[in-house]
This record gives sequence, C-alpha cells and structure tokens, in this order.
Amino acid sequence: MNSTAPLPAARVSRETGVAILRDLVATKSLTGQEQDAVAVFVEHAAAIGFDAHTDEVGNGIASRQGEGPVTLDIALVGHIDTVPGDIPVRIEDNILHGRGSVDAKGPLAAFLLGAAEADLPPGVRVRVAAALGEEEDSPGAQHLRDTWRPDACFIGEPSGWDGVTLGYKGRLVVEVEVTTPSGHSAGEDRSAPDIALAWWRDAMVLLDRLNAERETTFDTFDSIHATITGMGSESDGLTDTARMTCSFRVPEWITPEGLGPELRALVREDDRVTLALGGFEPAHRSDRNDACVRALTAAVRSQGVRPHPKLKTGTCDMNVVARTWQCPIAAYGPGDSGLDHSPIEQLDLDEYARSIRVVREAIERLAQEMVVARDSAPS
Amino acid sequence: MSTNTTNETLNASCPECEGLISFDRQPLSGQIATCSDCGAELEVISRDPIKLELAPEVEEDWGE
Repeated sequence: MNSTAPLPAARVSRETGVAILRDLVATKSLTGQEQDAVAVFVEHAAAIGFDAHTDEVGNGIASRQGEGPVTLDIALVGHIDTVPGDIPVRIEDNILHGRGSVDAKGPLAAFLLGAAEADLPPGVRVRVAAALGEEEDSPGAQHLRDTWRPDACFIGEPSGWDGVTLGYKGRLVVEVEVTTPSGHSAGEDRSAPDIALAWWRDAMVLLDRLNAERETTFDTFDSIHATITGMGSESDGLTDTARMTCSFRVPEWITPEGLGPELRALVREDDRVTLALGGFEPAHRSDRNDACVRALTAAVRSQGVRPHPKLKTGTCDMNVVARTWQCPIAAYGPGDSGLDHSPIEQLDLDEYARSIRVVREAIERLAQEMVVARDSAPS
Repeated sequence: MSTNTTNETLNASCPECEGLISFDRQPLSGQIATCSDCGAELEVISRDPIKLELAPEVEEDWGE
C-alpha cells in the first residue's frame, strides 16, 4: 500500500486492541526470526487505518498523517523480537501471559493503537516501527537511525503505564580470550582461566576507582557496573583456551569508547589475552523538560495519577538512535520491566488499555505543541 | 499539594515554601521549574491558570 491520503483517527475497540496484542504475542519472533510477527503487525496496522509495509531490512512500519505535506514527523519505535522461552499464550483473569507481552509487544501494540486513535493536525505524521533485533545488536533501529530524521521520538519499552523513562545506561561488551600452552594443573604456570579471571579482578578494581572518583546522584544509573555473561574453557591437549563475555553498563560520564582503552591497559604484556570490544552504545538521559517527557508526563496525569519518571539500568533502542537524531525522546510502555526475560512474563490488560490512552494523548499534546512552535517560528 | 497563580498571570507560588515563581511566558504543560527560594523542583500541572505541584522524584528501575 502506498496511499498517503490523510486518514481520520480510528476508534479501535478494546476487544480489537486485545486481539492485536494477543496475535503479536502468539506469533513467535526470536531475534533473527521476526518475519511472521512483522507480517502480523503490518496486517493489523493496515486493518485499523495505517499505511503499512515492511521496510528494506524487514522492520514493520505503520504510518498515518494529518492533511497536507509532512512538516513534522513523530517516530514511535518499538521492537518486535523477543528472547527465547516458550510461555503458553493465554488470558486468565484479565492477564495476558506470554513471551514478549512486556518486552516489548505490549508497548509496541500500545503505540500502534494510540497512534491509530490520535487526532493529527495538518502536516503531522506518526510512524510506528516494529523494529528487528533489539535483544541483540539492533539492526532494525540502526536502519531507522540511518534513514529517518524524526522531529520527536517515543521508544516502546515497559515503564509501567504510569511511568515515563527518561534514559538508559550505555553498554560495552568485551569478549576475552586467553590462550596458554597446555600444562599440568599442579604446575606453577597460571591456567588460561586463571589469567582471564585475574584480568576480571583488575577490571573490578578499575571500576571501583573510576566510580569512587565521581559524585553520583543515583547509585546504579550513575556508576559503571559489569557482569560476566558467559565463560568457558577448552583444551586440545596442546593449547588451553579460556573465553569470557563481559557486559559493562556505562553511565553518561564515560563513553564505551572511553572505557575500552582503560580495560585494554589492564592486559599484562606477558599474558596471552585478547580483548574484542563491541556493542558500543552510549548512555542517554533526556532532560525532564524534554518535549516527549513532558507530553507523556502530562498524559499520565490526565488519567488522574501521579507520573513516575524513571532512569533504567539497561540498554535499548533509545541508545541506538538518540545520539544521531538529536530530537526530543522518551520511552514508554505498559508492563513491569522486572518481568522482562522471565518465565512469568505477563501483562495486565487494564494496564494495557490505560497505556493506549496515554500514548494517544501524548501524541496529540506533542503534535499540538510542535505545531504551535512551527507556526510561530520566524520564516 | 498544588497552588493557584497569584495576582500576576505568569506568577505562581511554590507549594513547598510559598516563594514566588515567575515565568517569562506561559509555561509549557509538564514543564519543570525550580524554586529559587527553596530549590524544590516543581511541575506545571496547569498552564492557565498556572498551577504547580512538587515534581515526582526520578526513580531508578531495573531492565530495559
């Protein structure tokens, strides 16, 4: 479909909204295997009034706009891939159980429904993206980063329906490999795993020192944290090899590119250690006066509750696009992020319904404010 | 706790210390202002008339 004619805001029933979410959750979409779920997203989006298609890399895109040529562009970037883990999809006591219900098909569906229902002023376009691969290296968001230039962006991740996420920590992934000549474990030489763990201990001392040099407001968000996410060793009888994958979560005051050399400097000359650095994503924190933060905050308040601004200790597609787009940005979505990747992932459907109203109102508030700013700007 | 505007259209009082909060122009919805008297962070919950409320504190949260 290629129609760009303005479309009136849809009024989507609660039953349809739940059916769309359930269909998305019921369609498996492990990272790298998202095609079927993207097709479901595109089909449902078209049915509720969007111009919907699959883009060059496989992201699902749903677009609608107010009258006239596009002068203001609002991006709503969710992701459609999930981590593994089969959780039988079912609705019990108004709770939808299933992998991806929280991370992040609930937020994605709320974006789609809220954007479908939003009244759009002339010249304002909303585009909802069901991006690929967020759970790994975000090829979908990287493509959007390189091909879109929105005026504002909402990222679809669980904040709780009354929460607004201002920012995420950054990330550096370090693959450590140590090779040593094989030897008896009773010998004097350190083993390959010994050397890998010695580097890790030195890294922890480094982090303690770097963190201690900083005054922090938030214990976790403002500090570097690290964890070993994988390790193992093997031997072919001649050479012993130890491998370790380490994830470093970085705050705003140090970039992944800045931390990398410090970690490399810990490698001693006589150690056979190689470090491969990857996953470079800087931290991002939006100001509380950011237009997207304010729009979401006001939209939550309009539902009669006090909003909860949050900073997240994880990393998401906000980290991928924020530095390039340099536009107002905030993350939002229904669900408890404590259930991300867990065997009990589930979403309260009343929370989902409330979040749709918040998304719709946030889009309308943001669009109206941006139109006023656009129309009052000197030509 | 929230406050109403005072006599001036673009003024309001701090709900914490009753200090005067002046805006150069009509504030934006959800805007955060800082009280110059007590340092409280205040959120604009109504633009016309201007109403301020103590802004909720930012929380740390695990995950994505």
